[in-house]
Order: sequence, then structure tokens, then C-alpha cells
Amino acid sequence: MADLLGTFEQAVLLSVWNLAGGAYGRAILRGVQAALERPAAAGAVYATLDRLEQKGLVISRVEDGTPIRAGRARRYYRLTAVGIRTLNESKAALEQMWRGAKWPLESKA
Amino acid sequence: MAGRKVAAGVKGVTREAPPRWLESVLRWCLTERDRETISGDLLEEYREEMLPRLGQLRADIWYMRQLVSFLLVRSFGGSAISASLAWMSMFTALAGVWLAIMEQVLKHPGHAERSVLAVFVVIEALATILVLICLSLARFRVIVQMSAVAVVLAGASALIRTIDAPHFEGFVFLIGSALIVQGALAIVALGRAVPRKEV
Repeated sequence: MADLLGTFEQAVLLSVWNLAGGAYGRAILRGVQAALERPAAAGAVYATLDRLEQKGLVISRVEDGTPIRAGRARRYYRLTAVGIRTLNESKAALEQMWRGAKWPLESKA
Repeated sequence: MAGRKVAAGVKGVTREAPPRWLESVLRWCLTERDRETISGDLLEEYREEMLPRLGQLRADIWYMRQLVSFLLVRSFGGSAISASLAWMSMFTALAGVWLAIMEQVLKHPGHAERSVLAVFVVIEALATILVLICLSLARFRVIVQMSAVAVVLAGASALIRTIDAPHFEGFVFLIGSALIVQGALAIVALGRAVPRKEV
């Protein structure tokens, strides 16, 4: 089984997945913030994307920019087959871990 | 630049881009691969979302926070060894400043040479932090690594002299040890800090 992902990595990958073809930095950042229900630093999101790309979980392509961004290029991300499998495995591992535990947990004392 | 001119209809706005120096620092800290795309994302968010919603001052503060988040992630959010090196380099820089000041205040024999050494230590520590933060400076990492070798030697020299000295000076021993650790970390960690080049 591939390495399990951290919560933040899962949020980034899920955001990329949800955005389909429109997953570029700013949109991914917003998706992560919505998923985690808290502000996320742009630096953390880009560093995570970079790490995930090096692991082969996402790939990116560059497209031309728009006037609002002074013509600067956009980098779009999408999940690879390995990324989808790893994300599925992470969810399955979490569910496996919680199986049999009555949620929410209550103190046994 | 036209993009920095008046943005009518937005309260108190005199330009529609972040301060030029903030953008320059951000772009300087990014690799060539990310320079256009990431600065473009932030500019887009600044213009479309933050400026209309927050006004210029708070939008500028937002932009500065994003920049700081990049700097923090670059320096302390990487590998454990990079984070340790960042902390050690900060300690080394402060120790160097303190040593230089003390040399100038006490003026013991040989203080001029030791002051120069302390200044060198400060420069090496700051250069290490800069290379860690600004991946565009990674091409200078070999120079910083060579400086780190000198720092290790300086630390080892300080330790040997402390051990041989008739009176044990604990702070020299501590700083000498720290220099060795910081220098060794710099040699190892900067060897790994190779930015990605593909587009």
C-alpha cells in the first residue's frame, strides 16, 4: 500500500479532484479552505502541490494567463492514476481504523 | 505601468496591484518554474477578491501575509533537517552579532580579528537562511556550503582553544559547538535544496 496521506494533503488532492479541469492554484486554495473550514496559507498549499507532484500524485500543465493577472501563466493540476489510488487507499485505511468504534467516542472513565 | 494606476469605484484605492517591492520579494523567492504562475495567482486574488472587499491597505496586508507564509514554509516547513538548519542559523547569526558587540565593548587583545570572524559568521548564517528561503538563490548554495566548512573549522578551533585554555569558558564552548552543528547541517541540507527546473 502506498504511503498514507495527511489531512492537508487529502484536502489538496480532493480540491484538485473536485475542480476537474479548472484546478489551478487560487481555485485549489479556496477548495482547501472550504474543505477544512479554516483559512489556509497559500505557501502551504503550493508547497503541498509541489510535493505531491514530485511524488507523482498530480501532474501539471501551464496555460496562458488572463489580463486580470497581468498575462501571467496559470498552472493547472490534475490527479494521476497513482494519486486517485492513494487517495482511495487513505480513505479506506481511515474507515478500516474506525471500524468497530462507536462514534463519537465517549470517555470510558 | 497601467495596472498600477487608479482603480475607480474602490474605496481609497490609488493602484490595483500590490506594492512593487512586495511582488519583487515574492518573485525573488520563487523558482523560475513558479515565478509567473504563483505570482499570477496571488495578483488575481488580490485584484478580484481582496482589493474590492478589503480596500487597499488591508489587501496589501493580506498580500504581505501570503508572502510571509511562503517564507515560513520555505524556511521551517520543509524537511526536519532544513527546519533545524533555519533555527540553528538564526541562533548562529544572533550569537555572531553578540560576539561582535562584546569584542568591541571589551576590546581584549585580538578583538579586531575576532570581530571580523564574528561578522563572517553572521554573514554565513544569514546567507544560509536566504538560500533556504529563496530557491532562486539555490545556485549560490555551493558558495554557502564552502562558507559552512569555514564555520565548522572556526567552531572546532574555538572548541580546541577552550579545552586547552587554563580557564574553561562555557559560552565559547557552547557557541563553538553550535557553529559546528550549524555548519554541518548547512553542508548537508543545502546539498538537498535543489530547485526543480522543468516547466
